[in-house]
Amino acid sequence: MAKLEIENPIVQVNNLKFYYPGNARALHGIDIAFPEKQVTALIGPSGCGKSTLLRCFNRMNDLIDGCRVEGDVIIDGENIYNRNTDIIELRRKVGMVFQKSNPFPKSIYENVIYGLRIAGEKDRSLLDERVETSLKGAALWDEVKERLHESALGLSGGQMQRLCIARAIAVNPKVILMDEPCSALDPKSTARVEDLIGELREDFTIIIVTHNMQQAARVSDNTAFLFEGNLIEYGLTDQLFVKPRNKQTEDYITGRFG
Amino acid sequence: MNPAFLKKVKRNDRLARWVITIGGMAIIFSVIFILILIARVSLPLFLSPEKALRADFQLEQAQAQQVATLGVDEYLETGYLVDRTGRFDFFTVADGSPLDSVAPAGEDTQRRLLTVDSYGRLNHALIWDDGSISIVQVKFFPFFDAQNNNQRSIRHRVEVLGEFPAPESGMPVRSLARSDGEERQVRVDLFADGHLQATLQQREESFLGDVEVTEETHTLSRKSAGAVTALTMSHNGNQLYIATDAGEIERWDLSDSEDPVLLEVVHAFADQRKITALDLVFGDVSLIVGDARGELTTWFPVRDEEGVWKLTRIHQLPGHNAAIDYVSPTLHDKSVLSRADGRVQISHMTSERLLLTIDPPGEKIATYALSTRGNGLITLSESGRVDSWELDIPHPEISAKTLFGKVWYEGYAEPSWSWQSSSGTDDYEPKLSLTPLIFGTLKGTFYAMLFALPLAIFGAIYTSQFARPRFKGIIKPAVEVMAAIPTVIIGFLAALWLAPLIERSLGSLFLSMILVPAALMISIALWQAARKIDPLKRVERGFEFLAVAPVLVMAVAIASVLGSGVESWLFAGDLKQWLFTETGNRYDQRNCIIIAFAMGFAVIPIIFTIAEDSLSNVPPSLRAASLALGASRWQTVWRVILPSASPGIFAGTMIGFGRAVGETMIVLMATGNTAIMDLSIFNGMRPLSANIAVEIPEAPVDGSLYRTLFLSAVILFVMTFVVNTIAEVVRQRLRAKYGRF
Repeated sequence: MAKLEIENPIVQVNNLKFYYPGNARALHGIDIAFPEKQVTALIGPSGCGKSTLLRCFNRMNDLIDGCRVEGDVIIDGENIYNRNTDIIELRRKVGMVFQKSNPFPKSIYENVIYGLRIAGEKDRSLLDERVETSLKGAALWDEVKERLHESALGLSGGQMQRLCIARAIAVNPKVILMDEPCSALDPKSTARVEDLIGELREDFTIIIVTHNMQQAARVSDNTAFLFEGNLIEYGLTDQLFVKPRNKQTEDYITGRFG
Repeated sequence: MNPAFLKKVKRNDRLARWVITIGGMAIIFSVIFILILIARVSLPLFLSPEKALRADFQLEQAQAQQVATLGVDEYLETGYLVDRTGRFDFFTVADGSPLDSVAPAGEDTQRRLLTVDSYGRLNHALIWDDGSISIVQVKFFPFFDAQNNNQRSIRHRVEVLGEFPAPESGMPVRSLARSDGEERQVRVDLFADGHLQATLQQREESFLGDVEVTEETHTLSRKSAGAVTALTMSHNGNQLYIATDAGEIERWDLSDSEDPVLLEVVHAFADQRKITALDLVFGDVSLIVGDARGELTTWFPVRDEEGVWKLTRIHQLPGHNAAIDYVSPTLHDKSVLSRADGRVQISHMTSERLLLTIDPPGEKIATYALSTRGNGLITLSESGRVDSWELDIPHPEISAKTLFGKVWYEGYAEPSWSWQSSSGTDDYEPKLSLTPLIFGTLKGTFYAMLFALPLAIFGAIYTSQFARPRFKGIIKPAVEVMAAIPTVIIGFLAALWLAPLIERSLGSLFLSMILVPAALMISIALWQAARKIDPLKRVERGFEFLAVAPVLVMAVAIASVLGSGVESWLFAGDLKQWLFTETGNRYDQRNCIIIAFAMGFAVIPIIFTIAEDSLSNVPPSLRAASLALGASRWQTVWRVILPSASPGIFAGTMIGFGRAVGETMIVLMATGNTAIMDLSIFNGMRPLSANIAVEIPEAPVDGSLYRTLFLSAVILFVMTFVVNTIAEVVRQRLRAKYGRF
């Protein structure tokens, strides 16, 4: 299997196996590491386990009753599947943006500071400042600064997704997981979010699941190709798309299946 | 697609649309129709009384001047005039054609009538100019002629109830007399020098048939300063009221033949106006006072702080523009007739409504008589015209004030909201205040919701957000089955099992209210600590209740064991007695604790189910978003799930509220049905719904009670309608705010 040598990875996955209820194994021992402050794309056909893998990084799979995890996921030097892991702490460190934008039925302002509010932050000036920096970080500030206290549900689809990104970056995570963030957006909004991902790379480590290989090629530094619960190939995006070393990878990116 | 098939699809589509539209409209119309039906029955309560001139005829001037009084039967068929010789001339009301004439007190051409003092059911005290008095009664009865095709006619008879000879002390200026027709007769005379004399005759018949008549004559020494202007006596001759031209009223008790007692002298009016007319309202409790200023008031004795009965001004009825010269009661309710300047007014004492004014144009009424049933009035005007009026006063006692306001009922110590629709006696006045019933409905609903709302909503939150799906799969259908229990069974259990149980173990109940939450807190704290130990770590989340349940059961057990001990230690052995003496709360067995449990039990399933559904329907993506941002489960519930589910929770609450407002069987069986206005949780109430169920079988159709019950049904309908409308409006608002879901 192809390996990418990474120094000081922020996320290190060792022999990760994941079982859905009923002992259905979805990941068959994944070994992968993610470099800091780079964008890594996870690609693969439907059902290959890329989203499951992504959700292992902030233990969102815990919500599924009866699932089971084997192996280690070490984030920032800490195995998150330790018994002592504080899930709340973990999720503050590993933010997530979902496939379908899911702003809360609250004002734009309240949406952005939700993560701070639940952490007990009450300092008004700090909240105001964080709203501004986060919205600017998500390239949304200019569009919404006049209506911060209006309902977030009044935004367009693309704006909502950027709001969700602003909400994720407001708590200053180290890693941002993105689960097909553009799949429900029109091409124009997609372009904006892709631009945004490029900007966010400066400050955050981004792991993005995508169906869209052009998108993976456009936004990511590294790409991992998963197939049927196995990591087939992992390398620099430029190399993987131009000169795949694996037959399955080549078939997939040339559109022979998917 | 096959065009024929396409046509069929379109036709079915159209058909379905029509059926749905018609069904929906039918529901709306039937609801409106029901409301109209109910409202239509109660509407006549508020219609104005009506009068109709049925017949009139003219007497000759000479004859008219001879008329001392007149009367009419209750069928408005036969009337009579009493002339100055004491002759009763009967006539047909319809055309005035004369019937027979009777002189019950004898054909004495020498003596003439001074006045006639009429009272009760066609009783007349004929006061002669020689000082003697004859008390006569006219009786009418229907007669069915067997020979003549059972044709009905009204026959009459005049009976002499009693006689008084002229007083020995001289000729009185004014007299009145009463006789009960059997044992006792009383006459009171006012003499020219202003003193009064009472003659009390007691007739006793021994069992051998010997009749012994004892007569006592007493001079009544007045304490009032003014000249006597009006007198009246109760039907049985026991109470005497004397009024003066200086606004004073004396109240005498003549029940003891040997010792008449002056009970009190009341300075009725601060401006010392002349009192011009007195009589007693039907039932002989309230005194009608008409004065020279045309004001009409009613009075009755009320016990003051020292326990002394004092004649107190209670109602002010619509007055006249001139001095009132005559007042009289009706004979079946608490209405009052008054005459001033030739016009007659009928008003009702309790509702203080002016019912009718009899004011024939160009005529002045000299004498009038009301039929016994109050449905007819016959008037003789000064010009000699006799008019007979048909009156329709269906609900004189009903007004907005008597239905909703505080009313000072006869015999009550103060104005009150009171529901007491029937009693054993004929002269009983129904008290139909809806306020205590509305209050009862709201009170029962309040306590039921106080108990049900937290349980149902927290239960729904737990089941939808914290419990394992397997557990939810058991609990939700189980709670929904609760809703299927007939409320009559819940009410039955509450009244016959729960109420005595709680009464017996009130101390334990309160103790468990302290112990259960305390035990819960302690066990949660212990559980948190114990969870760090290895084997307990593996207990799945969502099964914590298994650890807590035994603790709660134990807390309840301890409370039930220690209950009586705590009662004797802190509350002198009896918590109910302690509550009464220390806080003034009376403990009824059927009280709002029972209602809270029983009605709460009935509304919990509705609120729970709707709340649980709306909580479960919050998109999982929102929950995921919140959790992914590092929120705990509780934070997610509180900040995201609850606001998003709030329209549904609110709707469930309001539907539960509407159910509690309309709930009948439970409250009927478990409240005690006392129409009181007391918020205390330790006594019951009487809600609108139970009241309707209790009273409608016994309410005479189209009577005031019947219509008032229908009015209370309209109020109940409107209450639930308003609650549901508000609920829907608020729900829509919440939905607009929280959701595209």
